[in-house]
Amino acid sequence: MSQTATQNQQATDTHVGFDVELRKVFKVFNGDTVVRGVDLSIRRGEFFSILGPSGCGKTTTLRLIAGFETPSAGDVLIRGQSMLNVPPYRRPANTVFQNYALFSHLTVWENVAFGLRIKKCRKSETQERVKEALKLVKMDGFANRFPAQLSGGQQQRVALARALINRPTVVLLDEPLGALDLKLRKEMQVELSNLHQELGVTFVLVTHDQEEALSLSDRIAVMVEGKVEQIGTPSQIYDRPQTPFVADFIGDTNLFRGKIEGAHPTMLWIITDRGLKMKVQPTDASGLPLTSGAVVVSVRPEKVNVSFSPPDDAINCFEGRLKHVMYLGTHVHYVVQLRSGDQLTVRQPNALNVPDSDTPIYLHWGADDCLALPE
Amino acid sequence: MNHMADFLTRSLHASRSRRRFLQTSIAGLSSMALSSCGWTLAKVQTDQVRRGAADELHIYTWSNYVDQDLIDAFRSQTGIKVISDVFDSNEMMLATFQAGKAGTYSIIYPSDYKVSQMVQLGYLSELDHSRLDGLRNILPRFQQSVHDPGNRFSVPVSWGTTGLIYNSEKLTEPPTDWDYLWKHKDKLTRRLTLMDDFREVMGATLRSLGYSYNATDPQQIKQAYEKLQELKPAITTFTTDAWRDQLLAGDLTIAMGYSADAVNVMNQNPKLKYVIPASGTSLWSDTMVIPKTAPNPEAAYAWMDFMLEPDVAARVTERLFFATPNEAAFNQLPDNLKNNVTLFPPHNLLDRSETLAPLDKPILELYEKYWTKLTSS
Amino acid sequence: MSTKAPSAPAQVQTSSPQWLQALLLLAPAGIWLALLLVIPTLLIFQLSLVPDIKPGDIVNPSGLDNYLRIFQPDVLKVIGRSLLFAIGTTLLCLLMGFPVAYWIALLSPKRWRNLLLLAFVLPLWTSSLLRSYAWISILRPTGVLNTLLTSLHLPTLDLLNRSPAVLIGMTYSLLPYMVLILYASLEKLDRRFLEAAADLGATPPQAFWKVTVPQTLPGIAAGSLLVFITGLGDFINPELLGGTSSMTAARLIYNQFLGATQNWGFGSALSMVLILAVSLAIALLIKYGDKNASSL
Repeated sequence: MSQTATQNQQATDTHVGFDVELRKVFKVFNGDTVVRGVDLSIRRGEFFSILGPSGCGKTTTLRLIAGFETPSAGDVLIRGQSMLNVPPYRRPANTVFQNYALFSHLTVWENVAFGLRIKKCRKSETQERVKEALKLVKMDGFANRFPAQLSGGQQQRVALARALINRPTVVLLDEPLGALDLKLRKEMQVELSNLHQELGVTFVLVTHDQEEALSLSDRIAVMVEGKVEQIGTPSQIYDRPQTPFVADFIGDTNLFRGKIEGAHPTMLWIITDRGLKMKVQPTDASGLPLTSGAVVVSVRPEKVNVSFSPPDDAINCFEGRLKHVMYLGTHVHYVVQLRSGDQLTVRQPNALNVPDSDTPIYLHWGADDCLALPE
Repeated sequence: MNHMADFLTRSLHASRSRRRFLQTSIAGLSSMALSSCGWTLAKVQTDQVRRGAADELHIYTWSNYVDQDLIDAFRSQTGIKVISDVFDSNEMMLATFQAGKAGTYSIIYPSDYKVSQMVQLGYLSELDHSRLDGLRNILPRFQQSVHDPGNRFSVPVSWGTTGLIYNSEKLTEPPTDWDYLWKHKDKLTRRLTLMDDFREVMGATLRSLGYSYNATDPQQIKQAYEKLQELKPAITTFTTDAWRDQLLAGDLTIAMGYSADAVNVMNQNPKLKYVIPASGTSLWSDTMVIPKTAPNPEAAYAWMDFMLEPDVAARVTERLFFATPNEAAFNQLPDNLKNNVTLFPPHNLLDRSETLAPLDKPILELYEKYWTKLTSS
Repeated sequence: MSTKAPSAPAQVQTSSPQWLQALLLLAPAGIWLALLLVIPTLLIFQLSLVPDIKPGDIVNPSGLDNYLRIFQPDVLKVIGRSLLFAIGTTLLCLLMGFPVAYWIALLSPKRWRNLLLLAFVLPLWTSSLLRSYAWISILRPTGVLNTLLTSLHLPTLDLLNRSPAVLIGMTYSLLPYMVLILYASLEKLDRRFLEAAADLGATPPQAFWKVTVPQTLPGIAAGSLLVFITGLGDFINPELLGGTSSMTAARLIYNQFLGATQNWGFGSALSMVLILAVSLAIALLIKYGDKNASSL
């Protein structure tokens, strides 16, 4: 049945090329709008992450795709077909749940075989496919265990096998690594990435862990307060954030509020609220070119240069004093207080010859090393 | 849709549940019933009693025998305060007595057959007849009960019969004897109830065969069982008191029951009649006894003496509608009560009737065996 | 627990109050069980070996006659009927109780749940005898049910004093217990399991049979056992609603103790057999429950 459905879709989605589309989707719970007009188009075979702080509506968005929630307004499409009247058990999507939701009364084998048995697959085929799926997640030795007898990581693998065995169009992962410790999480990230490449299936991952999203995803949607703030590749999200929230949420950054004093197609002159004058190269990413109004300037810590004497003709150069030093192994963070009162974080690969807190130091960065974002 | 209300007022009536049958009702139920009849509610005291207080008398009795007027009259005459607890069945009474309440009561009201058992167990004190002047007023029939010949241990206070209560509207020819049931069994299919008491039911059947209520010949008992099997399609159930509601509603045509219950339902529906089968029936009586453990035997004798006074006994009959075994009291009754054949059947009929006598264990077990056979098939 | 280490005195000091503590904690329940369960059961067992015992007799264990009597066809028939009533009631309670418990636990609005449960348990506060009498009123030939059927121009039902009436009465009496236990079990059901089942392609009925039922199996077993045991001991409903052929094992035992024959020995033997049957059922449940628990 699902095969014919897939074939029917073939014609419509060759020119679309999207596995999952959300169109102006809203979700209201008891008068509380949790999802506010989300638009997403997830490409076939893509590893797509929805990233955001807790309570931003990302899990609800995933549940809307799975069909556990119905949108209050808008449409959800999988392979070009509206899913509005399709119950979860008929959607070509399978979920890896937060905390896995493995059936406690069934063995690992039975858990993985569940979907096939529901579809009344032939016994021999079921046997083969379960074996294959368990092998894929390296759990072939645990077929007869019950979920309670497995570690968190092992349960995670079984949950993955259970979701993959139905050969879904899209695999939905709801914070799948959240319950694992750091080392295991890193291992599983690698495995998830390998699995995705091996199978070529569309993955939609919900996470609050930016590092996880950045390292795994082809594209990321950053959500906050029910809205998608920005969609882009990891480097676009990191290097070219379009809003102060994204800039702040992804990685570390230094933000300065201010307004545009003068605009030129290749340069903006900005004065911050505390009176610092900055030159910023405008980017096209923010849509309409900025010419006036309130802005936020974002400077990543690693883009800031440090010198102990005033540099010649340096733009965006400010004097300050060193407040704190944080040694982080591969690099060092310095917190510097400018004379204006602003505090900046500066990242340097190696330890500097640390001056005392009375010695003036000078921070500077190029006009193309910072961003001006509309407030 | 008045059924529920009907049911509540009727079936909550205190049953004259004095015999061996299954006693399922609970104390709370009978208290409710009492208040609905307008009788004074007896205060059920379960806590420990101050033993031997000379001016207090604890009696253990049937709920429907409690009459506050009587208690007040006794107190004004003797100064003794009466505290009465009630029970619903002889078995419950004996169990309570054995379970440590023996030292509480100075007067207990067991039924006749229970007296013999309590005597056997050595619980009862022999009565000093010189202190019970009124005993000579008791009818000879009740002085010579098989359960306590010569009233050595018990004083009878009330008696009654077992008979058929029927709906005269539904029968063209009214029943007169036990045989009627077998003759008309096809018309009575599932419209007849017999009592839930194998001595009564087997006894009546034995009587219809011309044998004694207390037959001990296994052949006769077997014959009675076989005759009862024939009647089974007509019997809708064996119940001692749950027939009232259904008889009043017209679902039943005939029910076998105690005379006291008959009086009760006939008051509610004059179409219902009570007949004592002509070949005879069983007679029962309730008595007063003084246990050996009585904390206040003096007061107990005073109570017995008081209850034996003809005008007191007559008042009990008038107020509670129980037949009195006290001849002097009977003579004082108004004519309408004297002539009430349900309460006081003619003497020739009583002569053909019997008291259910204690039987030897093997015979009793034979009865029970056939009863189990009857109710399990 | 003994140690040879030099720290032994300290060990003794701490371990002595420990066993004392355990003893103190367990003693009340232990005494309770011994007084009210173990000793009476042993007494019943002892009585069951005595033929022809009367109240007050001195007890002398001597034989199995009382047990042999159980194998008489009439007695076997009575036990069979009791089992039939108990099993029938259990099945009916399960069939009717599960949807109710399911609805209250999973579908009804949360703030109504306690009220709904209370409403369902309310009949338990009335006397069981009163409830049986109410059923007589409802089921008798001109009773509430038939009045209703007649007004709807439907044929009347003559149920009273027949086995169906017993099953109706018993089911009514015991349904609240079944619903309560199933509710407790269903309420604990992890709803993500239902979502996971739907996610894997199970329709709601498939999810019900493959997830909900297995997940609540301990509750189903516990509820069924409770209803079965209570049903086996019920004689009020068979007595009042069952008609002429309503003798049950419980009533037979009652007769032996409080009836005219007073055959305590046979009554005790019959009781022992029922106790054994019920214990067996519980043992099976524990075994079964354990197997299920290992997966939790």
